[in-house]
This record gives sequence, structure tokens and C-alpha cells, in this order.
Amino acid sequence: MLKQKLKKEHLGLLFDKLKVTHGVLGPKVENGVVTLAEIDAHDIPSGYEDHQQPGGYRLIKGERPEIFSFSIGPDSFKRFLQPPLREVFAFRRAAGISITRPGAEQRPLAFIDMRPCDLSALKLYDRIFLRGPVRDPYYDSLRRDSLVFVLNCLYPNDNCFCPSMGTGPEATDGFDVALTELSDSFLLEAGTAKGETVLAGLPAGEVDDSDMREKGARIELCRKRIKKFIRAGELPGLIYRNVEHPRWAEIAERDLECGNCTQLCPTCFCNSTYDALGLSGISKKSYQVSGRRMRKWDSCFSKNFARVHGGNFRPSRRARYRQWMSHKLAYTMEQFGLPGCVGCGRCITWCPAGIDITKELEALKSAR
Amino acid sequence: MHDKSIPFEAAIKWIKKETRDTATYALKVKSRDIQKGYRFIPGQFNMLYVPGIGEAPVSISSAPSDQDLMHTVRVAGDVTTALSHLKAGDVIGMRGPFGRGWPFEETGGLDILIVAGGLGIAPLRSVVRHILRTKKMAGAHSRRMLFYGAKTPKDIIFRNEFPRYREVFEVLLTVDRADPEERWRGETGLVTKLFDRAALDSLRTIAFVCGPEVMMQTSVRELILRGVPEERIFLSLERNMNCGVGLCGHCFFGPKFVCRDGPVFRFSEIEGLMGIKEL
Ligand SMILES: Cc1cc2nc3c(=O)[nH]c(=O)nc-3n(C[C@H](O)[C@H](O)[C@H](O)COP(=O)(O)OP(=O)(O)OC[C@H]3O[C@@H](n4cnc5c(N)ncnc54)[C@H](O)[C@@H]3O)c2cc1C
Ligand code: SF4
Repeated sequence: MLKQKLKKEHLGLLFDKLKVTHGVLGPKVENGVVTLAEIDAHDIPSGYEDHQQPGGYRLIKGERPEIFSFSIGPDSFKRFLQPPLREVFAFRRAAGISITRPGAEQRPLAFIDMRPCDLSALKLYDRIFLRGPVRDPYYDSLRRDSLVFVLNCLYPNDNCFCPSMGTGPEATDGFDVALTELSDSFLLEAGTAKGETVLAGLPAGEVDDSDMREKGARIELCRKRIKKFIRAGELPGLIYRNVEHPRWAEIAERDLECGNCTQLCPTCFCNSTYDALGLSGISKKSYQVSGRRMRKWDSCFSKNFARVHGGNFRPSRRARYRQWMSHKLAYTMEQFGLPGCVGCGRCITWCPAGIDITKELEALKSAR
Repeated sequence: MHDKSIPFEAAIKWIKKETRDTATYALKVKSRDIQKGYRFIPGQFNMLYVPGIGEAPVSISSAPSDQDLMHTVRVAGDVTTALSHLKAGDVIGMRGPFGRGWPFEETGGLDILIVAGGLGIAPLRSVVRHILRTKKMAGAHSRRMLFYGAKTPKDIIFRNEFPRYREVFEVLLTVDRADPEERWRGETGLVTKLFDRAALDSLRTIAFVCGPEVMMQTSVRELILRGVPEERIFLSLERNMNCGVGLCGHCFFGPKFVCRDGPVFRFSEIEGLMGIKEL
């Protein structure tokens, strides 16, 4: 596959080229955090450093010379390919029921700074929504023409644990193009024919052995900077053996059930569908009604998530937390053959109670 | 293929009141094309949709060979109440069929035992009628038994069909309680009480169980005590269901999607999960 270098000052050319056909999504500072938005090359917050800890995130102007000097923020591809709220169809009920599906006229998306951990989550999403027994046509329409530029990481944050999950800091497959920031240029490696087409026509520098060595060394350095680890090798057994561990009740006492973790987790996919009626949708003849059927992100932390008529399968917070962590670290593997946790650490950073999944797993390991 | 997230129109052909709170709805899929492609096996369910109110998972209570596609619904909350306000000729939305049904192919040559509690009879009626309608099926089993428990005699669903069932099945009924004026001659007590009455040949028995979760748990325990192999006990589980196709997460039972891997499970598949509270 095609491999070439791009001078750092030419990064804008890549954006220009992509913008003709795609909405280009990349990092941008908003409200003091790195989020994803449609951007130009000059929006990239180069030189910024993010300092993350359990329940904490701080962005400061630092000394790092790279353009991509920061790691991941709370945002991921998720809300772009599977929006938090969307219309499934509009309906009108009179004598019969008429259903109109929304047109998909959106421009395809190019992700310019997807990190290896998120790329693993994307692979899981593809498996769930494209290769499951039922394809999700909406996801398919957004995903089909998207372009994925994965960016190999140089600076993890203190909550990253991708090496434990085998997902980062370097991506090996599943991308259209992989970017690695070297000292004077970007190394671009195509992973698909689509990726090669994008690279063709960009001012190309030749790649030699020393560039590949520099790439390797930089990623190795990133790997050494990783601070968190989990015993992935003991999964899923560690979870299955400990369903009644007292730690679950203890976590439930700290847990606020805000659901932040499920919203930010790039692999969480649970959702609910419901009918939304506007006032104008209800006619005097009570049988006539119109409205929209909506699908929204949901969370296993919602009290009603497992409610049925006459009861609730998970009435306690303990059970709901256990459900979440077990789904991440055990069930997903069984369901889809890929890990449900990619080691991005977002749930640790954005938990207002600072609950740290790596520590909780460690606690399950300890004696009861 | 039809998009499984979009309901299609189904007209209510007729409604039959079964008990004080339960009625059977015969539905006719309006689109010829969809109707032609619509195949189900007993134990599968549909999502019934009342626009403006919402959807509810409901088992198909008729047999594949029945002329009408039937659902037997008890009034529980919003959607089921809205359904109960409709009349023949009204149109609702429907998606399905979903899930894994009862494993007929495993019943050949065995004694088939059907254990139903309350509304759990609905997906099992599909099995019973299927056996009644296919003579070949009826001959395929060495023995056929139907155990059914309801709250009171008035809550027995499909009561008028039992004489026909008795032609092919040994039918045993029980109720939790019966007022004296109801002149109830069957058993009173839990369904499991009926196991003593039937002298099961446990090693030849295959059991299909559906009802409230507690009833299923006690039934399974009794069956195992009597030596029925765990691989030959099947149950249909109920969970919250929203999408029906394994994309929404509401029905998780450990790693299982009840909507897709179930609702019918082989007991040996889920044994380890059954005992865990609040899974
Ligand atoms: C596989 C399966 C087969 C079923 N078969 C039948 C049947 O043949 N006949 C019958 O009468 N009932 C059946 N049920 C139960 C029926 O689905 C519920 O009674 C119905 O969903 C209640 O909805 P409601 O809006 O009337 O009640 P409400 O109390 O207003 O709503 C209950 C809430 O729980 C949600 N919910 C999701 N799944 C369920 C569920 N399984 N049970 C209850 N609430 C649920 C609803 O979306 C809603 O938010 C079945 C359930 C399942 C899972
Ligand atoms: S978890 Fe790994 S891949 Fe993800 S941002 Fe951190 S270092 Fe990069």
C-alpha cells in the first residue's frame, strides 16, 4: 500500500482536498476541552496539552512541538455516526398509517484524527450495526462513504490503557489512512484503495527506513508513557467469577448514576425508541395523530432501562453498575467477538466521582 | 428485504375477548409482498405498534398453519391499553417476526410436555395448535401433555379450545384459588403440583415452559428433580424489549440478547445465569 510523507506546512492541502467531498471532522478547543467539529487545519489546537486524572481534565498551552500535541477529549466518532437523537420515521395515523423515512442527504464524513483506541471502537460499531443479524440502514448510510484517518498516538493521557486492551497506541488495520507525526512531516500510510486515492495528488515526500524507524521510536515512547494497566488476560473470567463480589455494592455507594461514562464510551451503543408528538400532531378526532418516532442514546444506568410492566430486572444501583462494567469487560466479547473496552480511559476522566474502571477491576481480583 | 426497524401496516380482522383483561387480535398484514414473505415459527414474537403511543413485544399465539395471525394481549400499561380500545378494521403497525422459537425439530419421538403459567400460554398455544393441525406432528410424539396454571378459573385463557386440545393432549389444569360458586373441579395450587399427577417418563421428556419468571424457575427445578435432562428443558424469557433485533441493549440477560438469542432458551444454555439476582 501507498506510503508517503507530507510536510507539516502542507497539512492544509489534505484538508482542502477532503473538503471537496467530505465534512472534515477534527479536534478543536471548545469550552476548554478538545472536541470534534468540522474544522480547517488551523483550528487544530497545536501545542496544547491535556492533563487528565480520575474525575479531572485540564487543557493548557504547553511546550510540545507537535501539531497533535494532545490526546483524546470526551468526544469520539460516536455522535457523528450514531447521533444522540435522531428521527427513525415520521408517522401519520388516520384510516391507515403512513410512514415517511427521513432522507439521508448528509455529506459523508472524514475523521482526520481518530485515535487507535477509537478505531477499535469503530470496528465494534461496524460489527454491531453492519454485520449483525440486522443491518442498521442509517448507520450504514453514514458510514459507507466515510473516510478514517487514524492518528497514531505520541502523547497518551494519564488515564489511557490501550496497550492492555491491545488497541493502541498504534493502529495496524481498519483505517483508510494512518498518520504518524514525525519531527518535520507526517507519515501517511494508506490502508485501503479509498485511502490511496486521497493520497494521490498530494505533494509526496519519499519514505525511507529512517522515517519508519522514527515512527517506531515515537510510538514506543508513547507506549512507555502509559500509566494504567488492566489484567485483560484474565477477562472475562474475572468478571464472571465475581458477580456477587462485595465490591459492587461498595462502588454503588460512590456511583452517582449520571451516566457520563455510557455517553462518552465509544463502544456503548444502547438506545431507546419512542414516539414524539407535537401539539399540532393531535387532532380533534382522537384517532388521528401524527408525530415522529425518535431514537435516542440510552444508558443501562437509567432506572427504567430494564423495567417491564410490573417490575424491574435491575432495581438496584449495584446491579446497574455491574451490568455496565460486565458488558464492557465480559459480555461484548461473547456477543461480538471484540472487546467492549478499548482502553481510552474516558469513563475515568469524566466520572464526577472519579470511579476508575482499572482500579475496580483490580479490586475484584482481591479477596472478598 | 424489509427494514426491520420500520413497522408495516396490519389491519385488525377480528378481536375476541378471552378474559376480563385479555383479548386475542387477528391481524392481517396489508402489504401483499410483506405478507407473502412473512414466515414464523411458534415462540417468535412481533412488535405491535400503536402510533403515538408506542410498541410492545407480543408473542404470536396462532400456529403457522392457521389462517389468521393471532396475538393474545393482556392489558398492562400504555400500549396494551391503547390496543384494547381498538376495533376490527383499525390499523396498527407491526414489526417481526423476531427471536428464536420453540425447537420442534428436537421433539420427534419424545414425550412433549408443555407447561404454561398465566399468559405464558400464548406462545405455547402456537405449539399446541401447530401439533393439532399437522397430523404428522401429532404422530411424532409418544406422548403429549399440557399443564396450565391460571390465577382463578375466570383467568383461564382459550378455555373453549381445551376440549379440542384434549383430543391430542393430556391436559391438566390448576388455579391459584377458586371461589366455591365457580364449581372448579380441577386442581388448586401451583403448576408444579401437576407434575405429580402425570408420572413423567423423565428420560423421554422434552419440556417447553413459559410463564412468570418464578413459575418457570420452580417448574425447571421440579423437572430436573424428576430427572428431565437440562438440555431438553426450554423456557421463554421476558425482558424489556425495544428494538427486537439486538441493537438496543434493553433485553440483556448476561451476555444474551433475549430478543435475538431467545426468547426461547435451552435451560442448559442459561443455567448459570438463572440464579443470579438482578442480572
Ligand atoms: C418476548 C415477549 C413476548 C411477550 N408476549 C406477550 C403476549 O403474548 N401477550 C401479552 O399480553 N404480553 C406479552 N408480553 C409482555 C408485553 O410485552 C408487555 O405487557 C407490554 O410491553 C407492556 O407494555 P405497555 O405499554 O402496555 O405497558 P407499560 O407499563 O405502559 O409499559 C411498560 C414499559 O416497559 C417497556 N417494556 C419493554 N418490554 C417490556 C416487556 N417485555 N414487558 C413489559 N414492559 C415492557 C415498555 O416499552 C414500557 O416502557 C411479551 C413480552 C416479551 C418480552
Ligand atoms: S488510549 Fe491509546 S490510542 Fe487511545 S488516546 Fe490514549 S494512547 Fe491514544
